Amino acid sequence: MFGVIVIFYKFKNMSLNHIIFYTIIFICFITSIYFVYHNYAFYERPIAKVIQTNLEDSTDLKDIHGNEDRIFTQHIIGEIKNGEEKGRIIHLTNEYSLSGAYDQPYEKGNELFVSFEKNPNESSTLTGNITDVKRDKYTVIVAWIFIFTLLLVGKKQGLFASISLAVNILLLSYALDIYVRTDMNLLWICGITVVLFTVISLLLVNGFNEKTYAAIIATLLGTFISLLITYLAMRITSENGLYYEEMQYLTRPYRLIFLAGLFIGSLGAVMDVAISLSSATFELYNKNNDISVKALKESGIEIGKDIMGTMTNILFFAYISGSIPMLILYLKNYSLLGFTLSINLSLELARALAGGIGIVLTIPIGLYTSIFFINRKREKL
Amino acid sequence: MNVLVLLAIILFVSMIWIGGKKGARSFISLFLNFAVLLVSVFIMMDPHANPIIITLIACTVISSINLFYINEVNNKTIIAFVSTVITVAILLLFIYFVTKKAMIQGFGEEEMDEISVIFSLYLGVDFVKIAAAVIIMSTIGAVTDVAISITSPMQEIFNQHPSISKKELFTSGLTIGKDILGSNTNTLFFAFIGGYMALLIWYKDLSYSFGEIVNSKIFSAEMITIFCAGIGIALIIPIASLVNAHYLIKIRGKQSDDKIIQR
Repeated sequence: MFGVIVIFYKFKNMSLNHIIFYTIIFICFITSIYFVYHNYAFYERPIAKVIQTNLEDSTDLKDIHGNEDRIFTQHIIGEIKNGEEKGRIIHLTNEYSLSGAYDQPYEKGNELFVSFEKNPNESSTLTGNITDVKRDKYTVIVAWIFIFTLLLVGKKQGLFASISLAVNILLLSYALDIYVRTDMNLLWICGITVVLFTVISLLLVNGFNEKTYAAIIATLLGTFISLLITYLAMRITSENGLYYEEMQYLTRPYRLIFLAGLFIGSLGAVMDVAISLSSATFELYNKNNDISVKALKESGIEIGKDIMGTMTNILFFAYISGSIPMLILYLKNYSLLGFTLSINLSLELARALAGGIGIVLTIPIGLYTSIFFINRKREKL
Repeated sequence: MNVLVLLAIILFVSMIWIGGKKGARSFISLFLNFAVLLVSVFIMMDPHANPIIITLIACTVISSINLFYINEVNNKTIIAFVSTVITVAILLLFIYFVTKKAMIQGFGEEEMDEISVIFSLYLGVDFVKIAAAVIIMSTIGAVTDVAISITSPMQEIFNQHPSISKKELFTSGLTIGKDILGSNTNTLFFAFIGGYMALLIWYKDLSYSFGEIVNSKIFSAEMITIFCAGIGIALIIPIASLVNAHYLIKIRGKQSDDKIIQR
C-alpha cells in the first residue's frame, strides 16, 4: 500500500513529457514481451513446446583421455505451435550430457525448433528431431532488464546510451549487408562506418561543441594510426605467429576481416580515452582561461596515465574471456599448451595489443587536438 | 619475428613513453591478468571444482591487480575494490540464471563442424557455469574501471566540502557515474562486435533469416553478454556511490568523535 502511494506521489510530481515517455516505454515493453511469447506464426521452422519429459536412460562414459561424463536419454512429448501440424503432439528424443558442451536437458515449457521425420502413416503420432532452441525471448528479456537498469541509474544519459547502442547495431548490420552484397573493399566500408559511429556516438552523448569536435578528430586519428601500426607490424613479420584457424568457416579473405574487426573493436575504447582527455582539458581551460599550454599538457598526461592501464585491461578481458570454453576443450583433450594458446588466442591477443596501442597513442593525440582547439578559441577572443 | 611480440614491444614502449613508471606497471598488469586467467582455466578443468567460485576468486584477484597494483592501496581503491566484489557477486547469480535458461553454454553449430571430429565433448566439466564465468570475466575490466572512476572524484568532492551530507555525496557519485555510463557501454559493445565480425559476416553470407540469427546460440550468447556487461556497468554506479558515501560519512563521524575526545 505504501509503495503504491509513493509511486503515485512520484507520478504526480513528474512532468507531462516524463509521463508520456514512461508510458511509451512501458507499452513497448509489454508488447514486445507479449510478442516473443506468441510469435510462433512468424517462424517457418516448426516449433514444439515441451509438455512432458521422461528420463529413460543414463550411462556413464569415459573417453580415451579419462574424462568422465554421464549421458542421459530423455523422451520428450511436445505440442507443435505453428505451421500445418499446429496443435498435434510430437515425440522427440534428446540425448544430453552432464557437462552440456553441445546439449542440454529440456523441461516442461521449453520451446524447441524441430524437424519432422517422414511418417508413412498419416494418422500415427508425429516424431522428429530437435534442431535448435528458441532463445529469442531470453535475449529480449535481458535486453529490457538492460534498458531499465540504464534508465534507472542513468536517467537521460542512460536513455542516450541505449539509443546510441541501438543506432550502432543498425548501422553495423547495414554496413555488413553492403559488404556482403557488393564487392566494395571491407576496410573502406569499415572506415566509413567508423567515422559515422564516432560522430554519432560522441555528438549524441556530448552535444555540439568544441570539446566533442576535438574528441572526434582524436578518435579518428587514434584508430587509424593504430590500424596502420598493426598492419605494418603484420607486414614486417609476415604474420608470423597469427593463426587464422578459428575463422576457417569463412569463405572470405580472413586477414581483411580480422583487420576490420580490429579496427571496430578498439574504436569504443579509443573514443572513451579521447572524450575523457578533451573533457578534462576543456574543463581546466574553462576554469582558468589563462592556463598555460605547459600546464595543460602536464595535467593531460597525468589523466592519461590514470586511464591507460584500466582501459587496456577492459579490452584485454573483453577479447580474451570468450576463448575460455575453447581452451578448456583443447586442454581437456590433451592438446599441448603452446599449440592450444596459439590456435585459440593469437588473434585475440593481437586485437588486445593493437587496441592497447590505439589507447596509449590517443592520449597525446587527444591532448594536442584539444590544445589546438583551445588555442584557436583564445585567438578568437 | 612473431607479430604478437612486436606488437607487445610497441605497446610497452609507448606505455613507458606516455606513462613512465605507471605505464610500465600497466603493461605488467596485462601479463599478471593473463596469468590469472590461465590459472583459472586450469582449475576449471577439474570436474570437481565449481567454476562460479573460481570466477569469483579470479575476479577478486584481477580487480586487486587493476586497482592496487596499477594505482596504489588507499581509501579510493579499497572502496572501489569492495564495490567491485559486491557487484560481481550479484551479477554472477543473475548471469548464471540467464545462461541456464537461455541455454547459451558451450559451443555453437559454427564451431562444431571442426571440433566434434577431433575432440571429445564429454569432459565432465559444467559448461553452463563456465559460460557464466566467461560473461563475468569479459566485464570485470570495465566494472573496476567504473568503480575507480566514481570513488576517486567522490573523495575529491568530500575533501573540498567536508560538511556534505550523505545523500548529497551519494547523488554526486551517481552524477559522475551517469557521465561515464554511455562511453563504457560503448567501449564494451565495440570490443565484442570487433571480436565477432567474422561470425556476423558468416551469418550474412549464408543469408540466415532474422529468426535464425536471433535464435542461434552464438548470437544470443553475444547479445546477452553485451547486455549483461551493460547491466554490470550500470549496477556498479549506485553500489560504489553508496559504499563510498557510507564510508566517508562514517570516517567523518569518527574524526569528529576523536576531536571531541581530545578536547
